[in-house]
Amino acid sequence: MEDNLKTRVNRLETVISLGIPDRVPSVPLIAQFALRYRGVPQSDGYRNPQTTNRALVETFDALGGWDGQLAANLIWVNSSWRISAAPMPMRVPGRQAGDHEPLQAVEMEIFTKDDYEAIIKRGWNGFLAEFLPRATGRPLEKIDATQKKLLKIYMDDVKTWHEKGVPVLSGATTCDPTMILSLSRTLSQFTLDLYRQPDMMQAVMDAMVDDLIQNVLDDTAVTGLKYVFFPLERGSGFFYPLRIFERFGFPYIKKMADAFAAAGLISILHFDTDWTLNLPYLKDLPRGKCICELDSRTDIFKAKEILKGHMCIMGDVPATLLSLGTEEEVVNYCNKLHEVVGKDGGFILSTGCECPIDAKFENVKAMLATARSHTYPGHDK
Amino acid sequence: MSELAVAIAELKEDEVNRLVREKIEAGVDPLALVDECREGMRLVGERHRTGDYFLGELIMSGEIFKNAMGLIEPLLKADRPVHPLARMVVGTAKGDIHNIGKDIVAMLLKAAGFEVYDAGIDVPPEVFVQKVRETESTILGISGLLTTSFESMKLTVQALEAAGLRDSVKVIVGGGIVNEMVQKYVGADAFADDAPEGIEICKSFAQG
Repeated sequence: MEDNLKTRVNRLETVISLGIPDRVPSVPLIAQFALRYRGVPQSDGYRNPQTTNRALVETFDALGGWDGQLAANLIWVNSSWRISAAPMPMRVPGRQAGDHEPLQAVEMEIFTKDDYEAIIKRGWNGFLAEFLPRATGRPLEKIDATQKKLLKIYMDDVKTWHEKGVPVLSGATTCDPTMILSLSRTLSQFTLDLYRQPDMMQAVMDAMVDDLIQNVLDDTAVTGLKYVFFPLERGSGFFYPLRIFERFGFPYIKKMADAFAAAGLISILHFDTDWTLNLPYLKDLPRGKCICELDSRTDIFKAKEILKGHMCIMGDVPATLLSLGTEEEVVNYCNKLHEVVGKDGGFILSTGCECPIDAKFENVKAMLATARSHTYPGHDK
Repeated sequence: MSELAVAIAELKEDEVNRLVREKIEAGVDPLALVDECREGMRLVGERHRTGDYFLGELIMSGEIFKNAMGLIEPLLKADRPVHPLARMVVGTAKGDIHNIGKDIVAMLLKAAGFEVYDAGIDVPPEVFVQKVRETESTILGISGLLTTSFESMKLTVQALEAAGLRDSVKVIVGGGIVNEMVQKYVGADAFADDAPEGIEICKSFAQG
């Protein structure tokens, strides 16, 4: 088992550091699909993260396995109440949503404009210490206790994966200020804030970023896992022109990714929506210390052209293809990924964002099989 | 091109408000003001198509347009209604609560001259059918960002057929992961993964 873990870790570390491994590694985002495949209601998975872990392990065996588990279960790590990502409301299966529906974020204003002033005055952590009890009606001590309990479960599930020979990649979760504020204010209100009061928005972001970095350093120190799951969506070239990205997006992404790299951490930049316009900027992030993870809306082939020799690319089998396509179509798409994006290494095969819960089993199985069969001849020469 | 239309296209919020107020005070026909505002929004759409504007500019222009219409609409006389390009229903498919794309499309459709009825999010097929029937709409736009929405889009099209409305209603599906494969699966007349593109398709539907 230890050899298996070592083999998989080596395979992943080789592609992340832009080397050529024995074969293409795969890291699907697959927890919700695993629950559905095993006939477990999504609600059970959210009530008990270890139920998800069991479903994941069984699905891993049924699909023939993969090389890295992005998260050990359905929990995204935040080691205390100092939540690094947006504290946005969710429509949780079994609570606000049906037992078999997927988890969905609710787009609603949870921050007011007054909260901006509070963030500028107190920083992100200082603001959250006041905001979370107000928003949830629970004292910080109770929120802290819940987070610690979830972290204990998470680490137990990490152990399960390691014993199975599979590395777990999320040792912390964070977002950049744009993502957090857009999710917390809603896209529309955040956009109006950006265009109407740009100086204030920059001051808010400046007041957040150091705490966001420190939270990740604290979290990874606790989990001992050196990967940072870093979802990015709301600042892409799909939403805003580059002049906005250059002021409100990239400086913060770079400051965070640089700090994580300096601490020996790898940033998994989880890019949802179309970031094709923004790709050239990623060459300014530390070489071999980030993963550019794409959801199928960014042009992954363009990403290879631009980031070859600088950043490992991960993705991007489209959700629609896994759900409605044929096995042959999935295999053809994956083979194209291996041949073009996987050329000379630096590539991890993955689902484009989360594998849909209604993906066809044979499609997911075929996708993962292409990675196992795509070897790099002479990789050790 | 009027000064007002240009100000909208340039996203000059304060200037738009000032111009609309001045024109109202000067007794300019409110219908002419509506046309000027729509011309500004048409320019915004054009700039999006050419890659000069992004979703952020669409949101900002939508807010400016909405505020301008808030000043103009009370002056529109009931006996001189603004004739819509077409009546249409929009909503997010059952099981899906994503509203951003749907809301932006609804805003752009209104600015383009459509009479839009927003059925909301997580909309069951029978509610879509009921809304189409009630409003005598000729276009139905269904949005979805989850693959699980495809099935309810398909059921909605089937429900339109069962209600005898399919021949008189064009169906367009939209969302970030919607493509031709989804359009075929659902049985829709068109798809769009981009809001302004969806508006152009709806205009072509309205023009027959």
